[in-house]
Amino acid sequence: MSWIILANAKKRKARVAMTVAGIAIGVATLFALLALSAGIERSLDREISAMGANILLLPEGCPYELTLALMQGTDAFEHIPVDALPAIESVANVEVAVPVTVGKAKVNGQLTSVYGTTSQILEVRPWSVDRFEGAVVGSDVAEKLGLSEGDTLAIRLYNERQVPITQILEPTYGRDDTFVFVSLEVAQDVLGLPDQLSAVLVRTASVSDTVSTQSTLGRMSDIQAVPPSDVFERLMELFASVRQTLILITGIAIVAGVLTTMNTMTMAVYERRQEIGILRALGSTKRNVFRLFVTESLLLSVVGGAVGVVAGFVATLFLPRSSGFGLQATPVFSITFVAICLVVAVLVGVASSLYPAMAAARTEPIKTLREL
Amino acid sequence: MRIELDRVSKAYGQGDAQFWALREASLRIASGDFLSIVGPSGSGKSTLLHILGCLDRPTEGSVSIDAEPTNRLSDRQLSRIRRDQIGFVFQQYFLNPSMTALQNVLLPLSLAGVEKGKEKASKALDAVGLSRKLRSTPKEMSGGEQQRVAIARALANDPDLLLADEPTGSLDSKAGRAVLDMLVSLNEERDLGIVVVTHDKTVAKTADTTLHVLDGRIA
Repeated sequence: MSWIILANAKKRKARVAMTVAGIAIGVATLFALLALSAGIERSLDREISAMGANILLLPEGCPYELTLALMQGTDAFEHIPVDALPAIESVANVEVAVPVTVGKAKVNGQLTSVYGTTSQILEVRPWSVDRFEGAVVGSDVAEKLGLSEGDTLAIRLYNERQVPITQILEPTYGRDDTFVFVSLEVAQDVLGLPDQLSAVLVRTASVSDTVSTQSTLGRMSDIQAVPPSDVFERLMELFASVRQTLILITGIAIVAGVLTTMNTMTMAVYERRQEIGILRALGSTKRNVFRLFVTESLLLSVVGGAVGVVAGFVATLFLPRSSGFGLQATPVFSITFVAICLVVAVLVGVASSLYPAMAAARTEPIKTLREL
Repeated sequence: MRIELDRVSKAYGQGDAQFWALREASLRIASGDFLSIVGPSGSGKSTLLHILGCLDRPTEGSVSIDAEPTNRLSDRQLSRIRRDQIGFVFQQYFLNPSMTALQNVLLPLSLAGVEKGKEKASKALDAVGLSRKLRSTPKEMSGGEQQRVAIARALANDPDLLLADEPTGSLDSKAGRAVLDMLVSLNEERDLGIVVVTHDKTVAKTADTTLHVLDGRIA
């Protein structure tokens, strides 16, 4: 049967190409959406895990906005007084409490995220850094500004400080690659935030007692204690609602594709009534004709699906990577997404071919031949 | 194979617009017979041929194939009869224009699920003298060549009966003569039953029996 379909397709190259393109566009959109969504989810998960804390202490305000600001390295204009730090450290089960002050400043003339902290950062970050002195520079910043160890950075916003680079980080493929890490004192001075903290990263000694520790820390004035996992879940919920809307729009595009393909196939049945009449005269059953049209549509859909997956893959490589909560999101490709897209393509093929195939099967051979 | 028509009538349209194309036609045709049907245009010749070939169903009367009434047969069974036992040749050839000569002949073989279909299609085209035109499409062939492809296609599944509707109607006299000679030799050599609808007296005279149809009735 396939050779019959191919022989007929050769005659209608333009129509075949348009049908394949229609399906491919819908599938490419779906594939790109799935790959980018998964990329954003993974990026968010990685960033939150990379904080190295199981309790995040934040100033009063929306915890999600504050967490995102912390991850993006921007000042959220809400702060914890540095005086609170001894009280935090004294809470039972707090193993490490890493004070952090973040904000954007000009580093060698370029606007860059400055991440002020203490040497305790080395206890929560998985870096291969022996000592935290001067400036530790993320790999992307070093590449962008052409920096190497031993250079001196000019960091300026409200005040200017000259800081020597002691180490350039190996790529972490996360936001740390885009930060310049300096001492708390330097960051606070440059950013004009004396004695102000953006957050405190807390790691507990006993994971099983984390809930009670969080509760104790949360009772401190002007501080909220948030588990990063909760922030992740909430942000994913927010993202899921956006994703659902996008999937709905893609779904509408796919339904439009089904109707267009159905229309094309129905027109094709009319145009091909001579072929159908001949087939019936030569002994083709109604079922044969039905199967021929459904198979043809399925083949076009699978080809369209495959083209769509490749087009979606290529498209994601050229789309901006900074989408999704301002984080760098590399698309995630998976065989599951390919399978989903091909299944959708096959469903499109079946749905769009049923009515035309039934119309073709109902064609009475003698009526058709009489018209010719 | 034997086909019998018993008082078969065929009407088209409904109510005031109803038109009887065929009235109470009875005839019998079997393998080895060579029958021609003649009559003016619109007299019901083609309708008679289509009913004989199970392409159309009668409004009244009965059609039997090997004593089995066709009104009891399903679409699938009638399709199988058309595929395996009856070959059709039309005046306009009705070849698939997007297929080569070989593919056109291969079509009924594929429908029947015949193994080595290409080989058989190739032999069928060789038998009608078109072994050099296997890869040609209909538009690359003359009318006579196209009609020979249509005959090869009709004979591909080795039918018992060949039904030809004006097979020489679109051909010049030389090509028409060649097609007619082919039909005669098929009737004699293969014991193939042939029914030819024609306006051509030469064709009609070649047949063993000639039926005259006028205003839907067999005269």
